[in-house]
Amino acid sequence: MVRRIVIVGGGSAGWLTAGLIAADHQGSSLHITLIESPDIAPIGVGEGTWPSMRDTLRRIGVSESDFFRECDASFKQGSRFNRWANGTDNDYYFHPFVLPQGHGEVNLPEQWQAQHPGIPFADLVSYQPHLCVNGRAPKQVVTPEFSSVANYGYHLDAGKFGVFLRKHCLEKLGVHYVPDNVVGISSHDNGDIAALHTQSHGALEGDLFIDCTGMQSLLLGKHYAVPFLSQKHVLYNDSALAVQIPYPDDNHPIASQTSSTAQSAGWIWDIGLPTRRGVGHVYSSAHIGDEQAEAELRRYIVDTGGPRDIPSPRKLSFNPGYRERFWHRNCVAIGLSAGFIEPLEASALALAEMSAAMVSDELPATRAAMDIVAARFNEAFTYRWERVIDFLKLHYVLSQRRDSDYWRDNTAAVPDRLNDLLTLWRHRAPSRNDFNRIEEVFPWASYQYVLYGMGFRSEFMNPQPRQAALADGYFREAAELTHKMLGGLPDNRTLIHHIKRHGLQKI
Amino acid sequence: MPNIVLLNNVDHKDLRVITRHGAQFGDRQMWATTFPAEFRDVQACYPIVFRKTTDGLGFEPVALFGFQEEENLFLDGQRWDAPYVPLMIERQPFLIGVNGSELMVHIDADSPRVSRDEGEPVFLPLGGNSEFLERASSMLLSIHQGLQATPALLSALLQHELLESFVLDVELNDGSQNRLVGFYTINEDKLAALDADAVAALHRAGHLHSIYMVLASLSNFRMLIDRKNAAHA
Repeated sequence: MVRRIVIVGGGSAGWLTAGLIAADHQGSSLHITLIESPDIAPIGVGEGTWPSMRDTLRRIGVSESDFFRECDASFKQGSRFNRWANGTDNDYYFHPFVLPQGHGEVNLPEQWQAQHPGIPFADLVSYQPHLCVNGRAPKQVVTPEFSSVANYGYHLDAGKFGVFLRKHCLEKLGVHYVPDNVVGISSHDNGDIAALHTQSHGALEGDLFIDCTGMQSLLLGKHYAVPFLSQKHVLYNDSALAVQIPYPDDNHPIASQTSSTAQSAGWIWDIGLPTRRGVGHVYSSAHIGDEQAEAELRRYIVDTGGPRDIPSPRKLSFNPGYRERFWHRNCVAIGLSAGFIEPLEASALALAEMSAAMVSDELPATRAAMDIVAARFNEAFTYRWERVIDFLKLHYVLSQRRDSDYWRDNTAAVPDRLNDLLTLWRHRAPSRNDFNRIEEVFPWASYQYVLYGMGFRSEFMNPQPRQAALADGYFREAAELTHKMLGGLPDNRTLIHHIKRHGLQKI
Repeated sequence: MPNIVLLNNVDHKDLRVITRHGAQFGDRQMWATTFPAEFRDVQACYPIVFRKTTDGLGFEPVALFGFQEEENLFLDGQRWDAPYVPLMIERQPFLIGVNGSELMVHIDADSPRVSRDEGEPVFLPLGGNSEFLERASSMLLSIHQGLQATPALLSALLQHELLESFVLDVELNDGSQNRLVGFYTINEDKLAALDADAVAALHRAGHLHSIYMVLASLSNFRMLIDRKNAAHA
């Protein structure tokens, strides 16, 4: 019987996994232990989440008000891409979290191109870009915890998030905590892990071991030597310079979205938390040196109203890619130990949430069941990583920028499946038939937002003029909702201040 | 916008208040705030439900008069067609104001009820309070005291997770669909599942009484629907 679960690593992935499994199986005889090295600091990037995090937090059983108070969290309603399509000053588009009005009911891209080619696609079909431009929050003070008026995820302080989850796991969910270093691994004859040896807590035996050790991938990578599938030939970014900068004053507006601004050999993220901005340059070390990358970062900060004097940026290096398998024998990797691409579209935490949820949902009762679950898990997540790579590459391959080798090189090395999709999309919009799994990583609406946001136009072969009136109704609906919401939604800082002071209601 | 001023027998010596009802006096209200001390009278005529206060800080009980904004199914020309009118309606155009620890009667000077030549005089010819004003100020005092009991009731309801949102879909005789949303009621399953200690605590604090008054009031929905049908016929 699988009764003892040992999680190694206490970053966001480790505590999310511990919290989800413990909350789902409360009252069972499951025994969950988390080993966290007191010497290794969590990598602490990954400050953006998807809307899925609302479900995850609710499922773990924390209060959203406490989450805002303790994690320096703010609302994220999507992404804004600057200078990605052609690099000019007025080049930007939104990828909002809300699905287009009328999505799935009518061919919106076709009618957009026919009726309103001059309006950006997302601005026409969704109210959310307008909420973002106006700095509005996605809910009101009377909206209950985890409910939304406009779909949202979060920006958060990853370091504080880990501490917040740990407290909940230990105080409310009965997770056992071992602050120690793993110094050895002992195995059963069949190759399963039997126990992890620690410096001062002895051997910890388990039935299932979850590797949340980050990029070192202690169990899956180092112990089992499961091959790493590098994706550097497709997605070139392998370095990042991250820095935190203060607001000019305490009442400075908090942005509603993650901004991503393309540079000569990468892009800069800009995330607004209540107390600071987190800004970083992610780039390809084959195309640009650290010094030039830092110069571009500093220029961006000054251009966006930040200080000239900034602390020395923190350098991170990574090899983009993922493991050939994620669940091997009685060990499954969740988080950076399973893989990491780059922070574009913030898929890292989302994949960790999906992994933890699947482990918890499918928790094998016996060792015999485990191999079957492992095979399914590996199939599901190989598919998901491939879709992440396709979707990220989509952003690069559609760019018309040719002002540096980086952008010129990026038109190459397009994965076959993405190439096929682009061939289809030349004459029709991304559709549900392109992404037909029950749980896709990115909904097909996201492909429409990015495809048409990047300036791509489909030549629709069989136009359906009868849909014009129907689509027009949805375009009007989006405009009316925009008007209504701008009248009723507070700005981010006002709402966050209210939450910190009074909390949100549970119902 | 109301123009709220302290009532005094100099500025307001000739003031009269129109007491009859009517849409022109602002009576076309969908609901009015109520409070536990009034529940017994209110539940005999109206559904009592809860709504969120717009400041996001809490809930308040309200007597419901209709299914949509500006619909008052009890307003019949100049008549309020019910044996009991909630005090928050009856008090119009007076309000209570707190000055330090002192309660003072205020008036909305721009209320359409305020008149110089029609209605009940507020002051006697020599400046003394009229009987009408005395009744109004005792009403204001009842409201003021009554509202003090609301937070304790609400915090008990929230503590035991007894509030839940509800949606009421009403199909009228003419086939039209009406939906009432945005209000909250008592979760009877959770109430039934409370343990003896919790029930005893609610009883000692007087909340159990209020809870059952609210539950009993819900049978008035049938009558409210009948009124809506009659209004549509």
